[in-house]
Amino acid sequence: MAHLILKLEGVNKAFDGYKAITDLNFYLDEGELRVIIGPNGAGKSTMMDIITGRTRPDSGIVEYGRDTDLTRLNEYQINRLGIGRKFQTPSVYSEHTVFENLWLSLEGPRGVWATLFSRLRAEQRERIEAVLATVGLQGKGDWKAGALSHGQKQWLEIGMLLAQNPKVLLVDEPAAGMTDEETAKTGELLVSLAGRHSVVVIEHDMVFVRQIARKVTVLHQGHVLCEGSVDDVQNNEKVIEVYLGRKKRGEHT
Amino acid sequence: MSHLSSSGWKLWRQCRRVLFILMAPVLLAQNPNSEAKVRKLLVEAVLEADETRQIGLVRQLSQLPDPLVGTVLLAWRQGGVFLFDGPSGPVPFLLETQNDPQGKARGLQLVDGEALRDEKGTELKFQASDLTAADTTSRLRKAIKTSLDLLALANPDPKMRRDAVLKLGQDQDLEILKPLQERELTETNAEVKRAYVEAISFIELASDDEAIRVAAVERMGALRSLNSLSFLQKLVSDATANPKKYGAATLKAARSALKQVQDHQGWVNTVGTGFRGLSTSAVLLVAALGLAITFGLMGVINMAHGEMMMVGAYTTYLVQNQFRAWFGPSGASFDAHFPVALAVSFLAAAMVGLVLERGVIRFLYKRPLESLLATSGVSLVLQQLFRSIFGAANVQVGSPSWLMGNLAISDVQFAYNRLFVIGFAFFVLLLTYLLLTRTSLGLQIRAVMQNRSMAAALGVRADRVNMMTFAFGSGLAGMAGACLSQLANVGPSLGQSYIVDCFMVVVLGGVGNLVGTVTASLGIGVTDQMLQPWIGAVLGKISVLAAIILFLQWRPSGIFATRSRSLEG
Amino acid sequence: MGRTIKLREQWILALVAFVGIGVVPALNAWVPADSLFHISDFRINLWGKYVCYAVLALGVNLLWGYTGLLSLGQCLFFSLGGYALGMHLMLKIGRLGQYKADIPDFMVFLEFDKRYPATGGLPPHWVPFHYIGVALIAVVVVPAVVAYLFGWLAFRSRIKGVYFSILSQALTYASMLMFFRNDFTFGGNNGLTDFKFLLGFDLNQPATKRGLFIASMLLLLSVYLVCRWLTGTKFGLVQRAIRDGENRVLFSGYATADFKLFVFVLAAVIAGLGGALFVPQVGIINPSEMAPDKSLEAVVWCAVGGRGSLVGPILGAICVNALKSYATRAFAEQWLYILGGLFIVVVLFMPRGLVGLPDQIKAIWRTRLASRRVTPSDEPSVMPSKAATRTDE
Repeated sequence: MAHLILKLEGVNKAFDGYKAITDLNFYLDEGELRVIIGPNGAGKSTMMDIITGRTRPDSGIVEYGRDTDLTRLNEYQINRLGIGRKFQTPSVYSEHTVFENLWLSLEGPRGVWATLFSRLRAEQRERIEAVLATVGLQGKGDWKAGALSHGQKQWLEIGMLLAQNPKVLLVDEPAAGMTDEETAKTGELLVSLAGRHSVVVIEHDMVFVRQIARKVTVLHQGHVLCEGSVDDVQNNEKVIEVYLGRKKRGEHT
Repeated sequence: MSHLSSSGWKLWRQCRRVLFILMAPVLLAQNPNSEAKVRKLLVEAVLEADETRQIGLVRQLSQLPDPLVGTVLLAWRQGGVFLFDGPSGPVPFLLETQNDPQGKARGLQLVDGEALRDEKGTELKFQASDLTAADTTSRLRKAIKTSLDLLALANPDPKMRRDAVLKLGQDQDLEILKPLQERELTETNAEVKRAYVEAISFIELASDDEAIRVAAVERMGALRSLNSLSFLQKLVSDATANPKKYGAATLKAARSALKQVQDHQGWVNTVGTGFRGLSTSAVLLVAALGLAITFGLMGVINMAHGEMMMVGAYTTYLVQNQFRAWFGPSGASFDAHFPVALAVSFLAAAMVGLVLERGVIRFLYKRPLESLLATSGVSLVLQQLFRSIFGAANVQVGSPSWLMGNLAISDVQFAYNRLFVIGFAFFVLLLTYLLLTRTSLGLQIRAVMQNRSMAAALGVRADRVNMMTFAFGSGLAGMAGACLSQLANVGPSLGQSYIVDCFMVVVLGGVGNLVGTVTASLGIGVTDQMLQPWIGAVLGKISVLAAIILFLQWRPSGIFATRSRSLEG
Repeated sequence: MGRTIKLREQWILALVAFVGIGVVPALNAWVPADSLFHISDFRINLWGKYVCYAVLALGVNLLWGYTGLLSLGQCLFFSLGGYALGMHLMLKIGRLGQYKADIPDFMVFLEFDKRYPATGGLPPHWVPFHYIGVALIAVVVVPAVVAYLFGWLAFRSRIKGVYFSILSQALTYASMLMFFRNDFTFGGNNGLTDFKFLLGFDLNQPATKRGLFIASMLLLLSVYLVCRWLTGTKFGLVQRAIRDGENRVLFSGYATADFKLFVFVLAAVIAGLGGALFVPQVGIINPSEMAPDKSLEAVVWCAVGGRGSLVGPILGAICVNALKSYATRAFAEQWLYILGGLFIVVVLFMPRGLVGLPDQIKAIWRTRLASRRVTPSDEPSVMPSKAATRTDE
């Protein structure tokens, strides 16, 4: 039995009276790859915000590993624990070069003095080149990140996650803006990461979900509607009613 | 007001003096007995050689309800009653106030009001400097003064009566006690009655009878009379220093009465400070409201907002000058200038705002730092422009008569101009609230504030909304400037002295949030005024700044934060 | 950065250093006054001031251009540095003041002997300033401490963008009010003035002025090199990342508050050093130097020259101040119009300042040519404008 790496229990969060998260329970094992689906406003991004310290929950337990209380930490402390995040809209440093983006994300000390006197070592350079190759941006190291296409920015941000080498990867809609081929490649990459890392993926694209998912969590109105394999979930009546059913009628909204 | 009315009173007294002397024969005809009696007594008093008897006569005169007594006594005390060496001894007379071209005036006899004539019957004319005045000793002058004060107790104006009563009390002259107590019985006005009680208590403090003293002290305490503060303080210190002369009962009573009065004074000061703070907040609110709305809506910081206030203040100045040219420097028509000035200030500042928005701001939406810099430039240009036109010195802006003076409630003075500003702020707040919630422009403003591109997609002409809102915000600043012209100096740096406070309101209150702006301006305005008497204006300002920075530790996005879902919001 | 560019930059730097430290002072000292190449004492003094302003501008740029922190209170730190050295200079006047007293004139005038009888009228915190070493330490430490306290509070509670600007402006405004007070013991309205000697040199001697000019040039060069080094490190990368998207940096695991605090304190120290060299050259320091307008002006030098480049602020500070010297002499009334106009023009039309002007012109030229050739636009125009807005957040 694998160890729990992330635990959310009884988490609530309201914004000005609107309940974004209600009594949410979520458990993630070490090395697991989990896909979260749910209609808009189901609280997927808010859940990620809560895990990464961007939003503090009103109540509930958010723990990392055995007993690290994440609600007491802020964004960078959580990040340094080894929880990396890729945002829904690609968030790269657009004025920096692709190489610099990766260098900033590379694992290592992040204090003021450390950055003042750190020099880029040869093995770090190799590591960055390797990541560039993995995300298909080789030869583009000198490009300004702002000049990349939407899909390339997505790749770069995934690359930044890889460079950081976190224990938990929270990946918010990685396939948006990618071609089918790229999407498939992203899927492969995420699957290959699982095992060594724990991965949480939020996704809308059911083809992509089918490709990568082992266990799927469905969120609805701020709490877990059901959990299980893709088939289980797709055959669950509640899910069909609130999510897939609507999706089938509306077709790719 | 008090200054003005007291000088008015003097004027009136002088007029009366002339009036009565000239009208003396007429009055004589009307009421021959009493008039003649009064005149006879007056002459007697002036000519009396024995000082003690003379003082007795003067006392007696104060009982007579004839206005002539006051006139003559006042003249006598000031050396205005002269003696003419007539054939049958000295004749007392007064000089007519109207001089002829040589600077001489007729002499009116005290005995009948008739002019002095020589043997041939021609009127004599005198110059004051050539004459010998009827002698007065210092004791006599004091007696005359007391009599005059007693006479003033018959004044028809209750305010004047009240002042006269208190003045008599201050002298602590035990001889006055009796007449004062007699007159208290006939007084009907509550305010004046209270003054009688106070004055009698003051006098009774000088009494040798401990029981009377204690009773007086207790009365002062019960009245919470601020006028008695200095008496009580003196009594406490005297009684502490000299316990033999004053008994323990006096000291104890004085201490407790002093505490009562001091507590009351503390309360009066607190309410007064709170009131001043409220009016400061009111100006801040009107000024910062526009700033908060434009910042919330367009994401631009207008550093020239203070200069919009300056535009408003100078517009008031110009409107006032125009009204003065049309209707003269006072009167109802002139007083009407202020409401007009408020409206014109709004329009003038709104126009400047409109030009600023079209010329500069609209290129800088959602770029607060750049807009801050560009509008700083505008602020410099406007300041220099006004300095060139109106000069570097402050200009004189007057007030309409209905904004002058105080409303006094239970010893607290509420200045009318400050009351007006507070009321006006409420009006503006209501106006803004209605504009934002009840008009289509308001709906559009809120739509653009929440989601610019969505609003645009729904057909809201964001450009026009921005323009109108900016003009409205600037107009509000203009009106704030007009209000400010009633409370502070109007000069080219008027805006600079307020802009920092306005920004503090925005920082503290959060953006685009009426409740936040109101709370923040109240907080800053009242705190500022509370601290000022305590640690001075400068340290007060610094403390407010420190408090704001510390407050932001607790609530980083101000009192009322708006949240956004985007990463860099 | 290519090797050749680096080489060229080094050559230019060496040339500037040679001209500034060697040629200009030499032309002042040894070329006869009637010669075309002579540089007058007045000029040397004036240029010395510009150089100090350029140092200040470099600090502003480090904050605004590289970290996105628009501080409107940099002149506070400039003044604090100036006051720290000014205190020492006041004490070195000795008995040469108007009152021929042991303590500075204003203390005699304000009857400080009654307030501080133990030290003969000198406030206790003035006493250590008899030593130049203490004064020099204070030049660095006082601005650093003030910046640290304010920055710690501000950055801890994530006050940023325009809020930070406004609060920093309020800070300098409040400090100005404080220094205006006589009982704050720094000379009130009049500040500190009538300096006579620095390190034993007579401040009125041309040689001393020359020395101060050389010192200012050396300071400018050192500050330039420090900035250049800083922006080239990984720290510099983080710094610019904070400017472009601070929240993202937090999610990369950097404690942005620490980075901002470091830059803020460094910029304050730079400003303090500039102020310390400024004061003996102008001969006076008073609270009006802390007026919010002054700090805004420093920001405009930076904007005119080109923020986010290292040469820009230096260029801007010198150009704007040269213009100011000329304009206030030629048409004093209109100077504020010009300055105000500069604010507007630079923000609206020259976002990258003088340094960016050639590129801007080139870009305009290119679009002209392109529109003549009628080529389809390859990139939607949303991207650059989005990038531009992000720098402000």
